[in-house]
Amino acid sequence: MLETVIAGFIDSLQPINLLFVLVGVIAGVIAGAIPGINGPMAIALCIPLSYYMSPLAAISFLVGLNKGAFFGGSISGVLLNTPGTPEAAATTWDGYPLCVQGKGEKALRAALYGSVTGDFFSTVVLILVAAPLATVALYMGPPEIFALICLALTIIAGLGEASLTRGLIAAAAGILIGTIGIESVSALPRLTFGLYQLERGISLIPIGIGMLAFSEIILQLERRIKAGSPECTVSFSSKPEDRYISWAEWRGSAKTLLRSSIAGTVVGALPGLGAPVASFFAYDQAKKNSKTPEEFGKGKLEGIFASESANSSVVAASLIPLFTLGIPGNVAAALLIGAFVVHGMIPGPLMFEQNAQFIYGIYGSLIIASGMLLVVGRVGLTTFCKVVKAPPAILYPCIIFTCIMGSYLAEFSTFDVTLMLFFAFVAYFMRKFDFSHICLIIGFILAPIWETALQQVVIASEHAPYMFFTRPVAMALMAITAYVVIKTGIGKWKSQNIEKNLAA
Amino acid sequence: MTRKDNFIYGGIALCSAAFLFWIIPAYTPEYPGYGVAAAVLPNVTVGFILALSVLALAMNIFSYLSAKPASPEKNLSEDSGKAAKVHLRHLVSFIVPSVLLMYAMMWIGFIPAAIAFMLVIQYLCGQRKPVTIVLVALSAAFLVYGAMRYGLGAPMP
Repeated sequence: MLETVIAGFIDSLQPINLLFVLVGVIAGVIAGAIPGINGPMAIALCIPLSYYMSPLAAISFLVGLNKGAFFGGSISGVLLNTPGTPEAAATTWDGYPLCVQGKGEKALRAALYGSVTGDFFSTVVLILVAAPLATVALYMGPPEIFALICLALTIIAGLGEASLTRGLIAAAAGILIGTIGIESVSALPRLTFGLYQLERGISLIPIGIGMLAFSEIILQLERRIKAGSPECTVSFSSKPEDRYISWAEWRGSAKTLLRSSIAGTVVGALPGLGAPVASFFAYDQAKKNSKTPEEFGKGKLEGIFASESANSSVVAASLIPLFTLGIPGNVAAALLIGAFVVHGMIPGPLMFEQNAQFIYGIYGSLIIASGMLLVVGRVGLTTFCKVVKAPPAILYPCIIFTCIMGSYLAEFSTFDVTLMLFFAFVAYFMRKFDFSHICLIIGFILAPIWETALQQVVIASEHAPYMFFTRPVAMALMAITAYVVIKTGIGKWKSQNIEKNLAA
Repeated sequence: MTRKDNFIYGGIALCSAAFLFWIIPAYTPEYPGYGVAAAVLPNVTVGFILALSVLALAMNIFSYLSAKPASPEKNLSEDSGKAAKVHLRHLVSFIVPSVLLMYAMMWIGFIPAAIAFMLVIQYLCGQRKPVTIVLVALSAAFLVYGAMRYGLGAPMP
């Protein structure tokens, strides 16, 4: 066992792996710093490039990219009052006032240290918790996995959008898209409409790029053309007290950092909640526990520490359900499933038996990425600040071109480009009408696992659906799913009624 | 719930019914006599979508019937205010050049097609400086060609 752990960590220290982690972190910070571009979008664009890397380098690169993007989101939040990523919104509440006071560098340093602390904390939790949990998860059979996926999809559908119904419809549509291609039992094409290109199924690349990147850019352009670009007010004071964080400030924020890291890790480990929830929750808790809550929102360092440490904790924590159950904690983790599959691995508890060295290699890369984020952030802070000034009229055409060529690169197929454009078109309308495109992507990714579990349940029970009643864990999971549906449905119905009454 | 929602859920219900009664039976292999039929999961998911959309429609009608009467002008203005505006022209202006790019690449080659595409897209993104447009188009086309052809060894269209 110890040899496997050591061998995994040595793999992560290979120069090529270190290089890809570094490139991933830098690219992630740059992507996150640009308003409108976030971690999942950067991952979707870079998955085709990961085809050309070794499995460990590919996953390390994508994880580094995600980690970098979480910190990068705070840069535009602090400097422009426009969060680069949704989870950085709470950072802007105290970051931007500090920037206006000339303490932008101090705010960015706080964001960096908060990010690295939260990230490192959740990585340690992942390392300590995932393997024991995976051992327990191995006792779960197809009925439990089937019920667990139902629960995960329901939670994800209920939290994201205004309506649970729309979230569930989107998730079901994703599952339906996931059934396109050769069917495993009969080995015949299913729902391919006579198109031979669809026989191999739809890969994650056109869906990921089309729904997360291309449609996002079109919507960004739509808003930008209407509103114009935000003005950059970079003003860094040269006084040391305005640039560096003092020991007294560190000591004063230590409890907040720890509390927020724990909150972010717990939220991240639960499927569907995501970094914005963690960030807002930790900020709220920091404010409630502060002796000077009235200073929050006016440039309080604790606010930045709370928000950044919580949202960065989500990155590694979202890998806990992925590694132990094969279920993604958020959309970035869902995209990582695609990357794992490309390299011939299926995330889940069996990975700890079949690819243990690889898992420990990823752990090593996660720790290295945290360290690199600290170094890259410290060294390149002022350089990254210039990224927010990148003119959208140059940047966006380049991203659109990258979307098209990225889709082509996956299979060298123009059909994939057509698919990418089709899904971008679909995502545009979904987002306009409040249907969660994230639910669709996660449903699409979970479709094969769900179908396999369903097939195993049906075959094992000899076409009788009573098997669920003999499995207490599966029954309990289904009961929780029903509870979540009823509770979320009633909650949203009540809030709609309140809104309606207020409008009347 | 607005009139827009009725149209959305109605459309989804119709599409689901079409899938359930026509598309899935027509494009799904027959049950081979062992294992699970290929149509089970598509039928379950589409049936679920149909049930949800019909339920949402029914709730909409129920809330409309039970709501206090209001002036039709007010309802109409609330509907149009809440509806997310779809800028179809904006969407199509980016989708169409992207579709044409792939065909153009096969007809005239990667570099000329990519340059033409970048010129058009930059213009659509609001770039009006001719020197910048040309420089960005040329550098993007050559950089991507170099990286894909010589860096990754990808066969270019």
